[in-house]
Amino acid sequence: MKRLSLAAAVLLVSSALLLAGCSKKNTAVAADPNGPITLTVWCWDPTFNVYAMNEAAKIYKASHPNVTVNVVETAWADLQQKLLTALSANQTSSLPDIVLMQDNAIQKNVTTYPKGFLPVNGKVDVSQFAQYKVDVATINGQSYGVPFDNGASGTFLRRDIVEQAGLQVSDFNDITWERFIELGKIVKQKTGVAMISAVGNENDIIALMMQSAGTWFFDAEGKVNIANNTVLKEAVKQYKAMVDAGIILLVTDWNAYIASLNNGSVASTINGCWIVGSISAEASQSGKWAVANTPKLNVPGGINYSSVGGSSWVVLANTKYPDVVMDLLNTTFAGSVPLYETILPSSGAISTWLPASKSATYGQPNAFFGGQKIYEDIVAYAGNVPQIKYGLFNYEARDAVSRALADIVGGTPVDTALATAQKNVEFLVAGQ
Amino acid sequence: MKRHSFVKKYDFWGWFFIAPASLMIFILSFYPMIQAFILSLQTGLGNNLRFTGIWNYYRLFQDEIFLSSVANVFIYLIFQVPIMLFMALILASILNNEKLKFKGLFRTLVFLPCATALVSSAMIFKTFFSVDGIVNFILLHIGIITSPVSWLTHPFWAKVVIIMVITWRWTGYNTIFYLAGLQNIDTSIYEAARIDGASAFQQFFKITLPLLRPVILLTTIMSTNGTLQLFDEVKNITSGGPGNATITISQYIYNLSFVYNPQFGYAAAVSYTILIMVALLSFIQMKVGDKA
Repeated sequence: MKRLSLAAAVLLVSSALLLAGCSKKNTAVAADPNGPITLTVWCWDPTFNVYAMNEAAKIYKASHPNVTVNVVETAWADLQQKLLTALSANQTSSLPDIVLMQDNAIQKNVTTYPKGFLPVNGKVDVSQFAQYKVDVATINGQSYGVPFDNGASGTFLRRDIVEQAGLQVSDFNDITWERFIELGKIVKQKTGVAMISAVGNENDIIALMMQSAGTWFFDAEGKVNIANNTVLKEAVKQYKAMVDAGIILLVTDWNAYIASLNNGSVASTINGCWIVGSISAEASQSGKWAVANTPKLNVPGGINYSSVGGSSWVVLANTKYPDVVMDLLNTTFAGSVPLYETILPSSGAISTWLPASKSATYGQPNAFFGGQKIYEDIVAYAGNVPQIKYGLFNYEARDAVSRALADIVGGTPVDTALATAQKNVEFLVAGQ
Repeated sequence: MKRHSFVKKYDFWGWFFIAPASLMIFILSFYPMIQAFILSLQTGLGNNLRFTGIWNYYRLFQDEIFLSSVANVFIYLIFQVPIMLFMALILASILNNEKLKFKGLFRTLVFLPCATALVSSAMIFKTFFSVDGIVNFILLHIGIITSPVSWLTHPFWAKVVIIMVITWRWTGYNTIFYLAGLQNIDTSIYEAARIDGASAFQQFFKITLPLLRPVILLTTIMSTNGTLQLFDEVKNITSGGPGNATITISQYIYNLSFVYNPQFGYAAAVSYTILIMVALLSFIQMKVGDKA
């Protein structure tokens, strides 16, 4: 018995030592602003945001040769997961200095981990960005994001298929969703090609429709607004109408969605303007595409402009060089027209920094889009995007509505499915 | 006196040898379990947690997503585990046949699915069952279906696909256990049965099955445990959809921790329910399986 307790004591002492070893604090080293500095950045798309950050680093290095930026390609889902794990465990030493964050996750991440991030206002001039992008990253009056790409939406059309059906690209400008469905039926009937494709388990289109009417899954007080949301009901009705008319091709995942654009299975897609990069990847379709604005919902406040996705640079509080990081962002993404002139033609990264959109590069005709000045058009769309607050429980709401949508397509009445979604989201909100 | 010191020495070395392993098990298994239990008594987002006692456990019963994830997992369990274990038994009996040629080759082939990564096999099945995948292509050509079926967005077929993937992946694994068990059965028992005029079916049901009972019990418990913790296949093939038709408990825990606003306390409570279910089911199976 004595021996047993001795062994137990040994166990306890050694485990205590081991645990103490684990929780060793990592102490910040006093930073020398003129010594060699390496900043780490996480972002996810090598042809888009990774490229843009590398270009920004080049520009900054010209004036600050001691600053090197190490961009680590990290898929968004992984980035979010690593970020939450490190912040929850208070082990921030593994985190980078800057991360790129999806706009719809900023509010949730910053509110949940207020000590994890640094506000940029006062250090980076965000006043020259499109207002809706700045609002998205403003929490308690503090600005936490430097806007990167534009999420302004448009109808990206296959000019050749539409014309084959006897229609014009201009027929798609300033229309309602009802009209879009009618045109889709014509295209389907004349050419046999589906009008549009979407990922079956997601609800990007519904979200896009809602923002175009200035509404979201939450009301102004942050209360869940799903079951009795007339705009949402109208959006679901249009979605169901597209499914019933057979003009929407529902695919299982993102890769299949991109493939449907690249292999000619659909005549159009309605999405954020960053989709231009994926569309342009199929060189054989050069000259065959065109852009029109987004269809609008037939509800009060419904307009032909919306936004999908979009992301911002966010500074982490554990950075050893906050001033350098802020200066880097302030002089590049928030202050360099040449940066945007470089990244626009080669990656299609359309800025929300207003001075850049006045650059001549934005007025260039785009050969892939049959010579249309698409960047000028998209920047004009961006100016009209309604402002909304995505809210803290955005992902919960989107998930619940996606599920409701699958049920509605499967035959569940709209009111029942949305009531369930409302209940599911309220349940999760109650856990805060 | 001498004997006493021998026991003392024996005890010392005994403790000495098991101490490192016990220590590791305590630190890596039991300590996190205790921490997780403490966490499951707290509520809040991210690190803003406060103690709320058993509120999280009370909430579970009102959580429709949790309840449908439990229902899904039990559907997988009830259909998949018996089918898989029965197939594994048949395969093992065939592989154990003395007259079978190329035994090594067949054994390798049966075990091979187990050597593939879960994620890659899931991705391959996903391509097979996509709307323009090979399954639709073949079925259209034979004329069984007239238009492509969207397998993965249909609540019923999505479940069927998941069950097929798990069965494909784990049948070979269980076959190996049965094969090992079969090789411990004395061939003279079969010989005697044959002399007495027992058919192959009678031999299988009256000799093989009863003698394999301990192994069957082991595989049942392991498969139950594995199915309750199912994650990779569902996450990669349907990601829980359409609706909640295929979501598993583990995926819900993942969503609560990493997709939604992190509710680690509630997620820990959900994971404790898996522990309770595994313990209960294993207990029942052991009670039933140990009956003579």
